[in-house]
Amino acid sequence: MTFKKQFLLLILFVCQFALAQNDSIQYLEEVKVSDSQLKNFSNSQSVLKLSDSIINKNQASLTSLLNYNTVIYFKENGLGMVSSPSFRGTTAQQTAVIWNGININSQLNGQTDFNTIATRDFKNITVRAGGGSSIYGSSAIGGSIHFNNELRFVNEFTNDLRVNYGSFNTYGVNYKVNVSDEKFSFQASITRNASDNDYEFVDVAAKNLNGQYYNTSLNTTFGYKINTTNYLKFYSQFFDGERHFSVLFASEVKTKYQDFNTRNMLEWSSFFGKFTSKVKFASLTEQYKYFGNIDSESHTYGEVKTYIGKYDLAFDVSKAIKLNTVIDFTQNIGNGSDIKNERRNIGSASLLLKHKVTDTFLYEASVRKEITNNYKSPLLFSIGTNYAITSFYTLKLNGSKNFRVPTFNDLYWQPGGNENLNPESSYQAEVGNEFHFKNFNISLTGYVIAIDDMLRWVPMGGVWTPENTNKVKTYGGEALLRWNKTFGKNNFALNGTYAYTVSENGETKKQLIYVPYHKATSSLAYSYKKFSVDYQFLYNGEVFTRSDNNSKYNLDAYFVSNASIAYDFGKTNSYQLGFQVLNLFNENYASVESRFLPGRNFNMYLTLKF
Amino acid sequence: MKKLNRIFLLLVATSLFVSCSNDDNGNSDVPLGEYDNGFFVLNEGNSNPSTASVTFISNSGLIEQDVFGNVNPDAVSNGTLLQSVFFDDTRAFIISGGSNKVTVVNRYTFEFIATVATNFASPRYGAVINGKAYVTNYADFAIGTDDFLTVIDLSNYSTSKVALNNWSEKVIEENGKLYIANGFYGSGTSITVFNPANNTPSTPIELGFSPNSLEEEDGTLYVIGDGKLAKINLATNQVIGTAITFPEAQAGAKNLNIENDKIYYTAGTSVFVMDINASTAPTSSLFSYESTSEWGGMYGFAVNDNKIYIAEGGDFTSDSEVYVYSLTGSLLDAFTAGVGPNGFYFND
Repeated sequence: MTFKKQFLLLILFVCQFALAQNDSIQYLEEVKVSDSQLKNFSNSQSVLKLSDSIINKNQASLTSLLNYNTVIYFKENGLGMVSSPSFRGTTAQQTAVIWNGININSQLNGQTDFNTIATRDFKNITVRAGGGSSIYGSSAIGGSIHFNNELRFVNEFTNDLRVNYGSFNTYGVNYKVNVSDEKFSFQASITRNASDNDYEFVDVAAKNLNGQYYNTSLNTTFGYKINTTNYLKFYSQFFDGERHFSVLFASEVKTKYQDFNTRNMLEWSSFFGKFTSKVKFASLTEQYKYFGNIDSESHTYGEVKTYIGKYDLAFDVSKAIKLNTVIDFTQNIGNGSDIKNERRNIGSASLLLKHKVTDTFLYEASVRKEITNNYKSPLLFSIGTNYAITSFYTLKLNGSKNFRVPTFNDLYWQPGGNENLNPESSYQAEVGNEFHFKNFNISLTGYVIAIDDMLRWVPMGGVWTPENTNKVKTYGGEALLRWNKTFGKNNFALNGTYAYTVSENGETKKQLIYVPYHKATSSLAYSYKKFSVDYQFLYNGEVFTRSDNNSKYNLDAYFVSNASIAYDFGKTNSYQLGFQVLNLFNENYASVESRFLPGRNFNMYLTLKF
Repeated sequence: MKKLNRIFLLLVATSLFVSCSNDDNGNSDVPLGEYDNGFFVLNEGNSNPSTASVTFISNSGLIEQDVFGNVNPDAVSNGTLLQSVFFDDTRAFIISGGSNKVTVVNRYTFEFIATVATNFASPRYGAVINGKAYVTNYADFAIGTDDFLTVIDLSNYSTSKVALNNWSEKVIEENGKLYIANGFYGSGTSITVFNPANNTPSTPIELGFSPNSLEEEDGTLYVIGDGKLAKINLATNQVIGTAITFPEAQAGAKNLNIENDKIYYTAGTSVFVMDINASTAPTSSLFSYESTSEWGGMYGFAVNDNKIYIAEGGDFTSDSEVYVYSLTGSLLDAFTAGVGPNGFYFND
């Protein structure tokens, strides 16, 4: 008996010791990214991570990266112009963009323009499909896109320089530096992209008029380890861009649009026992200027300053149970030429739970409630399970309620803003099946989303005003596939996605315009020693352009592919030179009717790592 | 949103009336082209050029969509947001508000003649006097003082501008002068008389309300806006008496049309009629029609040759319908036109 007791004690002690060891490593894991919920509470949903090697091979815009590598469908008003995603058949305002855990969708129009984010500033970009409002707030209905800057406390000094130049005088420069030791970690990245963007259309004797753009972004991340249990981190991002909006006819008035966005966040993480505490302060500004005539200085503008205070406390109740509360206070101060100057305050509290019942079965749940006097705020929730039924098959189930809140434009546009709006809200459910084999992963997900109180602007007399009118029902299936194989020095990698999407107007039962039933992407990469070739394609099925689904006016399906070839000349460092042919088969295509996209064009790049 | 009235069809209607008289005198009506003897429906469309089109419906009820595209498959499209059409004896002028241009076609064959694309900024309506076309332009929608006329020389399609310095919308020609309604959703409350002889706008005739449609009959200009009807004596350019105020339920009255000494107008999705000399407005409608459109009910309206024409705007992203009624309000015909039909133009 005594022996048994002693043995037990010993075991306990060893376990404690082992756990403590585990903790300090875990701290560093926790410290690495700010958005810990993405890792901890996304087990019952489909999550796709795009690594820096994928980011580097793709074109600089977020539109292009996600268009060729995910199930998200894009409408682009000509290359580089306003770009609206449709994730699982939803609207652009129903996809949330999350920067280091903070929702950065515009407070003015509710969406993120995917041509105003420079992808090369980020180590990785993660696409989380399905509902996430109970964690990430407004807009996480179709899904959310996460940008994370990672901080590592190891001895490192690296530099990355990438330059590219191609057709239509398109160029890009990106420089990244990373300096860190066990106490400090610092990263900076600066990107400049620009293009004359005056491409000729494939079958029509015309070219893209007034499509030129440029943008510059600066990202810095700084981390300081105060001691083993306390860390300070600072994230910063500036984006400055100008786009001319292309015109269809030379006689149209030419317009341009400027964006200036800043994002800064300070975080203090501390670890004590089973608690992880994160205090965050963030300040975001967004500003646009719209020049209704490029020959005139007169313009309209809008700007919103956002201040966020957040307290995030995670508690490991046991090895199997994790609890996390997040209390958030957000203040938005908006003003502009067309909106009423307003200040809005939103408080929110969320509670998240993950319970790993066995090694193969876990469930997670979250609830969130916002308190504000700007709109009626529903109780948001999510509940899901992850069950590894066999070594190669995992079943995921998730159900959630999500919302998209009215924006400053919806509420305060002058004239027409409506201060009595409800948020758009959704109930949704999904079933995910993941199969893991040796070199091969496939995930199959089916989902259904019922969206109510869709906001729509309709004219009342001469004034447009938003209303909660429509209902939309969306359902579909997604397949993600990944395969890797190495024979000696030959590496093959194949990625593929396919989405089948039905998104119906609740009243007419017609498919929404500009939502394709079918979308597929694939990329095949082959490398031999320092030589690599890549091929990728994008297939978009035909879309309706008329609300009555009159197929006479459908926008044709298109199949566009890109190919690239690269060679690394470096001995110890990497000096990679690459050449890309975009739209290899010179497909004549448009994602928005009449807004033709470029035919075959070329691009070359040089990447230096030192 | 571009709300329209059909002024020019009235001009055409008048000339039609004359030509009908000629018919009565025994002249045979030999069609001057494929699109003689019927009417056009202008489909405003949305911001996409492929949604903007012209539909032709013949007097025998045959319908042809996208007339311009059918006749001129290689021509550049008419542009976006087709605002209105006006005519001279042989030509039709199609105004694109979104693309700042006017497409000129043969009014009977619809063969492309020219594109006029200079000196426009959100053009609205036009009229022809002595070989010149005059087109009103909003320029900046929020500002009235920058509105102007584009003058097109119809011999060579060269253009010039004349400042109007006032909200400028609908325009009609009468006796060699232009009458321009200075009204835009409550802004602008007058009528400008423009004499092409001296190429300058007159001092505006003040109405006290914002005009949305106007028509001339026997030397008097009739104007509707803000739930009121005013009459102007064109000999003196003075407002006659005080305006008639419509009942509150007809506050949005618009689409003034005069046919056989009766004034027709619409409010909501109802059609009203009153005698041209009546001193008060009717309290009940002639008839109403059912609209499923959120904001495009009664998007186009015309009275011509003892028939009433109504365009249902629809949802502006799909083909919509036009209806033909008798003067007593019975439905005679319904046709599917294009996206956002906004006007009727009679070609006989």
